[in-house]
Amino acid sequence: MKRTTGAVAITSAAALLLSACGGDSGEETADQGSSAEETAAEDEEAAEDEEAAGDDAASTEAPVRDENAELVIWSDDVRAPILTEWAEQFGEEYGITTQVQVATDVRQQFKDAANVDQGPDIVVGAHDWLGEFVQNGIVEPVQMSSDTQALFTEDSLEATKYDGQIYGVPYATESLGLIRNTALAPETPASMEDLAATGKELVDSGEADQAFVTPVSNVGDAYHAFPYLSAYGGGIFGTNSDGGWDPSNVIVGSEESIQGGEKIAWMAEQGLLNVNVDFPTMESLFAEGRTPYMVAGPWAIPNVEGAEIEYAVDPIPDFEDGGETVPFLGVQMFYVASGAKNPTLAQEFVNTYVTTEDMQLALFETGQRPPALQSALDTVSADDEDIEAWSAAGEGASPMPNIPAMNAVWAPLGQATSDIVGGSDPAERLEAAQEEIVSNIGR
Amino acid sequence: MSETRSSDVDAALHNLEPSGEHLEFSSRTPIWVQVVKWGLILLTLAVLGWMAQQVIEAGYWIMVSLIGFIALCVIAVYATRRAIPAKYLFPGVLLMLLLQIWPLLYTVQISFTNFGDGHISTKEEAVASIVANSVREVEGSSRYALNVAVPEGTDVATGDLAYLLTDAEGTYYVGTLEGLEELPADGVEAGPTGRIISAPGWTALTPQEVNDRSDDLADFGVPVFDESGEQTAGIRQVGLSEAFIGTPTRVYDEEADTITDTVTGTVYVAEDANFVPEGGEGAALPQGWREFVGFENYTNAFTNATLREGLTKVFVWNVFFAAFTVVATFLMGMAIALLMNDERLKGKGLYRSILILPYALPIYVTALVWASMFNQDFGLINNLFGLDINWLGNAWWARVAVLITNLWLGFPYWFIVCTGALQAIPSDVKEAAAIDGAGAFATVRRVIMPLLLVAVGPLMIASFAFNFNNFGLIWLLTEGGPFVGGQSSIGSTDLLITLAYRLALGGASPNFGFASAISVVIFFLVATISYFGFTRTAALEDVN
Repeated sequence: MKRTTGAVAITSAAALLLSACGGDSGEETADQGSSAEETAAEDEEAAEDEEAAGDDAASTEAPVRDENAELVIWSDDVRAPILTEWAEQFGEEYGITTQVQVATDVRQQFKDAANVDQGPDIVVGAHDWLGEFVQNGIVEPVQMSSDTQALFTEDSLEATKYDGQIYGVPYATESLGLIRNTALAPETPASMEDLAATGKELVDSGEADQAFVTPVSNVGDAYHAFPYLSAYGGGIFGTNSDGGWDPSNVIVGSEESIQGGEKIAWMAEQGLLNVNVDFPTMESLFAEGRTPYMVAGPWAIPNVEGAEIEYAVDPIPDFEDGGETVPFLGVQMFYVASGAKNPTLAQEFVNTYVTTEDMQLALFETGQRPPALQSALDTVSADDEDIEAWSAAGEGASPMPNIPAMNAVWAPLGQATSDIVGGSDPAERLEAAQEEIVSNIGR
Repeated sequence: MSETRSSDVDAALHNLEPSGEHLEFSSRTPIWVQVVKWGLILLTLAVLGWMAQQVIEAGYWIMVSLIGFIALCVIAVYATRRAIPAKYLFPGVLLMLLLQIWPLLYTVQISFTNFGDGHISTKEEAVASIVANSVREVEGSSRYALNVAVPEGTDVATGDLAYLLTDAEGTYYVGTLEGLEELPADGVEAGPTGRIISAPGWTALTPQEVNDRSDDLADFGVPVFDESGEQTAGIRQVGLSEAFIGTPTRVYDEEADTITDTVTGTVYVAEDANFVPEGGEGAALPQGWREFVGFENYTNAFTNATLREGLTKVFVWNVFFAAFTVVATFLMGMAIALLMNDERLKGKGLYRSILILPYALPIYVTALVWASMFNQDFGLINNLFGLDINWLGNAWWARVAVLITNLWLGFPYWFIVCTGALQAIPSDVKEAAAIDGAGAFATVRRVIMPLLLVAVGPLMIASFAFNFNNFGLIWLLTEGGPFVGGQSSIGSTDLLITLAYRLALGGASPNFGFASAISVVIFFLVATISYFGFTRTAALEDVN
């Protein structure tokens, strides 16, 4: 709290200034905390980073580019150990020194560092950061040959494109799925209505406290609300003539989206959605066996396994009246920085190493997300039920828009869904959110 | 005066003059002190010189002259015998300039620009990035296996670069800046993929050497000509072992200051620091540049509808939050300190350690724990007391929750400060009060508190300023929420700083210019409040 003991008022004022414009200083600022959600989900959850671009815990310091290494890669702490092995092998093969550095908030730290020309050569991260990176001119295209392109699953390759150009090599995909406590609910629910009925029964009989959990919270969570919102053809952006997302065509307030919003209201009525459930609450409710169903991503699995809960993964059930729940598809990829000190080696690494089945399989071992390389995906689905399930859950998923305008969406849309869960009128709230989003983009 | 002075006085004065020994002592410093002094001065200058070297490399000329000026100041202040006070004040003044005034000026400067996402770089860099990112593989072209080489006999670090290429049919080529030339297969050694390993007349570079020439390679490309001799595309490398035929699909016309898309035919013109399609149909190119926008950010800040409506509400809450926190934490801290100060209490050490705990834990942990304790359905507080309060979902309860949490976090600080300050109050004052017939409460209120306030007054102002900008607590506990009235911009527990953060950085794309403008406004608010606060403290001191 008041730790500015000897400081006079003006010091605090100046500190505030520093913190408010700290983004360009290339350093993390001390005053910004991470949201509860992020801390709980750690950096595993790349998709969540959306809602809190720029949030960073004070304890997490940005890495400083290792000056002694010729090829520098930044990634999160989960993937870093595996990458280190591969980078070392690459270094040996080409007679250079390599270094994999852990960044706690890869997206922001890379942006900050690249802006002062101190960034790494390669960055590992989610595809939806791309628009921002391109806008700031800090990543460069990867000229993948058509033969190589054909090796990847269609969706994952599509996600690496911005403005028609490919900007990275994908290695994994992720999406939301229904994680089921098989002790409480042995059957795969046929529909959302079926799920609600089973869940309610369990709550009534006292076996569970909550029929279903997914993060909502008081400020909302647009990422986790999206499958229901888009169930009837709604969504966030329309597409332009060449298939890209069109920021000038926001469809949050469209009739289709409102129909989805009404389903959210229905789910809240059924006790499936609750504003008091946020990410940590959801995790603990499921881990304590107090709820049969949880909709979350593969990043929630370690916690479930840690609690020794028997679980199964299914696609999110559809609604009986034909609404198809479509989650976002996230794609993890390797970017090459445009300010790379060693662009040639960086390109060589992503083009020849990341595209191999061996490396995709090695990365799968740490993240447990379906690989983006078709052959690797086939290999792991053959002997891992979970992956097959996750991959099925992600089938038909809608790639998360990677345009910068998406930043303007998370807060208003999240709040709107939270309010709907809290009892507000879906049409009214989504139309208001639409207005807010449009004005945010315009600013 | 001297004319009327008697000779006695003169004599006395003469006697008073320091003896020779004393003069010697004061004028000649020991040699080692001199050495150390000059050593330190030279060291400082060397460090400054090194810093200058760094900024020269980075091309920041203003910084270079600034460092030069500081170096001159160091010499002027420390190498001479004059300016004694400056010798003591200089480091402090310098640090204040560097750490406070400079960021302030920098912030003000940024607030007049459009600096932010999409407007990070200069126009040249933006254009270069647009053109470079638009390079596409020529349709239907095949790839080459590649090795990078220099002509035999030239230095690998400086020689003219060339590509040794193998096409899909296995024909060998040499590509230079002049164009593509077939390479006789005689003596060429190739790997299993057809990639040339060595060729007579050329020295292939090792990956390490390629790496060292990254900058040269960035500008290198083998031109491809059509039948009429016009350049249509270029062969560029992809990593170390592959090359493709590519052509930029966006071309910059420097004279007209336009970018033409050769695929769609769209012409982009520069407007508001972005390239936008001529005629206004369609999206702007993503890369923009940084430019001066005058008072635009300030006008935006004051004309933003949501901001204008919510600002007063936020400001009132902000002032109340800071004031309440200071007063409440102070009273609680003081009360406990008085209690602990009582000689009759046993085991003070233990109590004190326990009381310090909330202060010792990082706010990042505590605030999150409190946030989960306030959860309506699953939180400890409601469960424990059998309540059903929507702590974080109702505007008023959320404010109460914030105040409770901050009281918990803040009182140990005042407990420590008051414990210290109480030691400084002489016990005879209290005795005197007791003799005069004052009860315990009256003693505290009329004797101890005024004395305490003199000591902790400035700290209270600092504490007020800190809490005025207590970003961490609000962000971790409520994220500024709950948001009422169907919007997500202005929350019920937002402080100005969290509001500024959300509006400028949190919601849409980061916009440092806008954020800086809001920071400058907040700075003036805090500075004004602090100024009056300090004036009041001074008055307090006079009364006593």
